[in-house]
Amino acid sequence: MSFNSFKTLKINEPLYQDYLWGKGEVRSSGQISLPIKTLNLGSKDETITFQIFASHEIQRPPFLVYFLNLIKLHSFALIMLPLFYVLVKNFVDDRLRDPLSICFAAIGIFFLYAGMNIRNDILDHINGYDRVNISNSNKPISQGWISAQRAWWLSWVFFSISFFVTIPSFVRQPELIRVVAVCLLLLFMGHFFQRNSYKSSRLGEALLFILSGAGVASGLQVALGGGIDTEVLAFGVFWGVGVLFLVYINNFSHLLTSYQAGLTNTITTLGFDKAKVFLISWWAFFCGLWTLYHYFYSSIIWTIFGTLLLVFWSLPLMGRIHQTKSPLSSDLSYLRKQAHRTFLVMVIIFFSEYMWYLTDKLNWMP
Amino acid sequence: MTTKIYSPHDFPAYLPKLNLLYDDLFSGGKGFRSKLVQMVADPLKIDSKTQNLLCQTVEFIHNASLLHDDLVDRSQLRRGKPAAWSKYTPEYAVLAGDYLLARVMVNLSSYGNIKLVQFTSEMISDLLEGEWLQDSVVGDFFVTVEQLDRIHNLKTASLFKWCLRAPFIAIENYDSETHRILTEMGTLLGQLFQRSDDLLDYNIRNDEGKTVLGDLKSGYLNSFGAFLSQKLERSQIDQMIKSQNLSELVAGLGSSSQPGQVYFDKKVAEFDELNSGLIDLYQHLLNELSKKLSADQQAIVTAMKPLTEILYWRRKPN
Repeated sequence: MSFNSFKTLKINEPLYQDYLWGKGEVRSSGQISLPIKTLNLGSKDETITFQIFASHEIQRPPFLVYFLNLIKLHSFALIMLPLFYVLVKNFVDDRLRDPLSICFAAIGIFFLYAGMNIRNDILDHINGYDRVNISNSNKPISQGWISAQRAWWLSWVFFSISFFVTIPSFVRQPELIRVVAVCLLLLFMGHFFQRNSYKSSRLGEALLFILSGAGVASGLQVALGGGIDTEVLAFGVFWGVGVLFLVYINNFSHLLTSYQAGLTNTITTLGFDKAKVFLISWWAFFCGLWTLYHYFYSSIIWTIFGTLLLVFWSLPLMGRIHQTKSPLSSDLSYLRKQAHRTFLVMVIIFFSEYMWYLTDKLNWMP
Repeated sequence: MTTKIYSPHDFPAYLPKLNLLYDDLFSGGKGFRSKLVQMVADPLKIDSKTQNLLCQTVEFIHNASLLHDDLVDRSQLRRGKPAAWSKYTPEYAVLAGDYLLARVMVNLSSYGNIKLVQFTSEMISDLLEGEWLQDSVVGDFFVTVEQLDRIHNLKTASLFKWCLRAPFIAIENYDSETHRILTEMGTLLGQLFQRSDDLLDYNIRNDEGKTVLGDLKSGYLNSFGAFLSQKLERSQIDQMIKSQNLSELVAGLGSSSQPGQVYFDKKVAEFDELNSGLIDLYQHLLNELSKKLSADQQAIVTAMKPLTEILYWRRKPN
């Protein structure tokens, strides 16, 4: 490397977009340009220094590894569980009226979700979120494995597949158009009103809560011809609260850099100490919603057994949050891991419970 | 130009112990930061009175931070002499540090450039944030280099950034692009200085004879320590923390396939390579700065070119 392998560009220079998106001159010369991270946040200057690499200098993992990383396969549980829940609930209640429609809708939502995850990484790259934040994972765009431009096209391919695959569901269940229209409206609201993607502002948090919870659950419910009911909405609320907890944990681990960069979200507004109390309270609130949901819509055995299991797994997480000493310590990485683990345990408990109902319905129980 | 940073006559003679404490504090320092200010201020043709004010400002703030830092860290020695808090009581050390910061504000506000006052106040608050955060990671032996960089940017690099930018602010050059470049350069110099200082703790290029493993023994995993422990097993990190001397630490890094010394040397080489990347970036920014300066200001670029040699490699430039 030499100091010739850097290039500083201002936003109004013609090459700026080429270097940022990895297109035009950069692409044709077979080079890869990656923005240099900065420790000086909160600056309004739109100047970026890029480091230029020859394509062979970037070590890419196998295609499948970085593709799965790009679409964030590990987070697919966030839509898999609502899908599983809606399928089992309606099957058990004998309301699975349109299996073909839900199949198309499910495939459609997978592609939509994958496309949105890619788009989220592109936004983080373009808006400078990646340049100012401490990285928690290897993002394919910021690692130079794929250019923002290519990722952009890929996301459009996914959105198109999602749209075309869902057409039969729209035809078979026209009610779905209304649900999707509302969700799209909220999505565009988030897109046009947010400076830095959904997870970095309070309005974004609210939209994420609606879309990931009630939005997904009611959309799938309508797609299978079940019609929206209070049980599905109740599930959507408690699921949205759970998803938001993961967002808050992520924002907490970026508290210092987000604050310095002038981002306003619930965590930066509360500050380090109050945010810890808030996180503990939010997860306790989630556990409360879990219990209430099960009390109203589930068997008493699973209400007691599931809640006890969840609380048992949640106590170490709450202890970990309480013990976190610094907004820059290794505690944050352990906290994030433990939060994801606890969330996963909750998913497994829920999955087991609904498998129980399913086997009972199918008379598979011994 | 020679500057007089400290004179007992600048402080009230009736305050007991104050001048004795400052006599101790200001003797023996290298005054690197004030030299850095002069490096930039001379080509900008800043008059000697203003240069003196700028040099005094940065040295007063730096020394105030040392007074407080030594107390926070409970360091017994400063520049080979008993630290102020242990010789004159912690209360006097705190007050003497506060008093230096107050003098800075008095002197700067008399100068009349409000942007300079604002910039200096921001730098002081960054410095304190850095101290605060550093204290919050004491005892954390799994902290990452990237996290420590954030702390060092506040604690160490803020003074370097000030040294580079303050002379421009003093001549009322507020060009945002110039200041952006200087800010990034200050950050890099601060990072390189800190990382080189952290290497001394592991006896690398330690010509000054700094105490080895001082940081580690006081519960602070510095940037090289964090880099060294990145891929170690938990048991190896435990052993690293318990090491009484460097040879014990190095031996603990070994595995069946690789002796500890080989691993240690490899990590030092990797760390140097990582920082060579920062040096390359610094040279690029220096070129960018050169484009923003007039012909007679180019001496700034010439003077700043060898700084990375001095600060990181601890070599005298050719």
